[in-house]
Amino acid sequence: MTVIKLVVGGILPYITLVVFLWGIIYKIRKWNKAAQGKMTLYPTPSTPGGKWRKIIKEILIFQSLFKGNRALWGGTWIFHASLALIFIGHFRVVTDFPILWRALGMGKDDVDTFSATVGGIAGLIILVMGIYLLFRRMVIQRVKEISDGEDYFTLGLILAIIISGDIMRFITHFDLVQSREYFAALVTFSRVSVPADPAFLVHFFLGQLLIIYIPFSKFLHIPGAFYSKSIIYQE
Amino acid sequence: MSEERVISHSDIEKAINSVKAIKDGPRALQLYMDICAKCGTCAEQCHVSKANPNRRTNPAARSDLIRKLYKQDGSILTKISGLLNGNNKSLSADDLQTWVRDFYECSGCRRCALYCPFGIDNSVITRKGRAIVHALGLSPKMMVQTQETSDKFGNDEGQTYKSFMNAVEFLESELEEEHGIPIKIPVDQEADILFVPASADLISFPETQMGSATFFHAAGLNWTMSSKAFDGANFGLFTGDDAHMKRKNKVLHDACLELKVKKLVIGECGHAYRIAKRIGGPFYWGNDIPYEVTNIFILAAEKLRKGAFKLDPGRNAEPVTYHDPCNFARSTGVIEEPRALLRACVTDFREMTPNRENNWCCGGGGGLAVMDGKEGVKKNEVTFMEYRMNVGGKMKLNQIKETGAKYVAAPCANCKRQIMQLMDYHKMDVKVGGVFDLFDKAVILDK
Repeated sequence: MTVIKLVVGGILPYITLVVFLWGIIYKIRKWNKAAQGKMTLYPTPSTPGGKWRKIIKEILIFQSLFKGNRALWGGTWIFHASLALIFIGHFRVVTDFPILWRALGMGKDDVDTFSATVGGIAGLIILVMGIYLLFRRMVIQRVKEISDGEDYFTLGLILAIIISGDIMRFITHFDLVQSREYFAALVTFSRVSVPADPAFLVHFFLGQLLIIYIPFSKFLHIPGAFYSKSIIYQE
Repeated sequence: MSEERVISHSDIEKAINSVKAIKDGPRALQLYMDICAKCGTCAEQCHVSKANPNRRTNPAARSDLIRKLYKQDGSILTKISGLLNGNNKSLSADDLQTWVRDFYECSGCRRCALYCPFGIDNSVITRKGRAIVHALGLSPKMMVQTQETSDKFGNDEGQTYKSFMNAVEFLESELEEEHGIPIKIPVDQEADILFVPASADLISFPETQMGSATFFHAAGLNWTMSSKAFDGANFGLFTGDDAHMKRKNKVLHDACLELKVKKLVIGECGHAYRIAKRIGGPFYWGNDIPYEVTNIFILAAEKLRKGAFKLDPGRNAEPVTYHDPCNFARSTGVIEEPRALLRACVTDFREMTPNRENNWCCGGGGGLAVMDGKEGVKKNEVTFMEYRMNVGGKMKLNQIKETGAKYVAAPCANCKRQIMQLMDYHKMDVKVGGVFDLFDKAVILDK
């Protein structure tokens, strides 16, 4: 257990950070360097402002997909929206924001209740939507025929992260004070005391694996969508 | 030609190297290699994939032919993911033969890009695949022949100065007979406008060419054609042969300079306009070129707004529908102009569903329309003609049926040929032609 804690909590985070940053900067630099002629897809806004409004709309509400595949749009939009909420919620795992809570007039208990409710619901919804995405990949012939090991691996990884996260939220009731102390020690390169909750260790390990995997996999669609949309909306 | 062509080890190596070269650009291709999430949306929005649903017609799977090869970069990471995917297989001679057919079953219509959540334009990957087989001399015969003819004569039909002048003379006499007044088709004169159709219009679709001439006459425009540059069609776009594309565009560029025109006006030919406007012209020859590139629809819609001519739509009383060629709607944004003109020229205009940028490809795009036989492509189950009639054109056929139209206006030589054959093959009593064919009938000329 000590070794696992040391590797997952004491060493891997630094490796994750370095590999992720190196990978993502490498990729984005490569995209930036590559030449690109005009390949506008009409109709498209004629001003730069209009272009960026259209891109932001795409990123926020998946407009093309809404027109192209309504069922998938429903599932995946809810999936990504929950993911965004959960991502924001995770800031509380690392540190607290007392100034923000005071500004909003929320006491400690209010914040905890709010976060437990929103986070809990998002954690369950994303689980259902993740299962839906896996289900359609396995069942719908047109998706099944283009799916390979990598596609199942990425979905499996995400589902495992979601499940271990939900276990912490609903079963082991993970202690945030502990994790904040841990992260504070991590960023100051001090001696860390890694939380011992096995669900945390699994969740944290897989989460880091996911972050490492982003620059080398189809998760590149996160930064890539801006780039590829920007090419076809270029007047 | 490709029938006797044996694929050697060095061919395979060349193909692999071309795929690897994507790492140096263009940006779109790199992104498409990196970001596809395999969500399957393109399969629902592709006319080929809808008409014949199987793995081979799935756009994401077609693009995977190149994507998977690209991802084999020899690193440990890709070897691990290769184990995961069963993707450590290298390219075989057999695969390469299949590529020819696969990349020519996609017409490059860009409809997938419209619906893809990331805007992945699979036509870019298709064109890369075609470029690779073209460089190996494996392109379908008709593609190779057309390019050779074009390089020799400056037009895809192999017309000489004499046959061009004969065609012009013939069309002028037809025009005079029809309208009762002489309508000139000026050739090689210094003018404001150089008009360039697809050369197929001069022989196969003369009504479109006549209607265009009548338009210039009715609008009182100072125009000319060039005996050296009367073909805007450019198969370099289809074969992925950039050098050919540039050579062919230079024919138009030189004619514009020689005749000192202010405008290069492309006729009813979508891909000709796309190349002239979006790929060639200022992008090849610099922003300071002395002419502007535009299109006959944009010009005609503007003249229509200004009331430059009188039209009697009653002369076109049959129900008419409009087919949006991919290269006009999605690739150059010429969407409302032809409609404005049509509405003024006919009494019963009917939209297809879906239409405009959402329109289904006719199945003849990307050069497919000119291929009838097996074209020396080894791995083909049916001829290109049968493929176009039963798979590529299926969505279009149904769309046309639903409108009940008796005339399909399809302003593109490829679309015209494809839809004509489609109507014929499926025994539909529907006429196919251009927009300017109808203009020619509707216009009221001062005698």
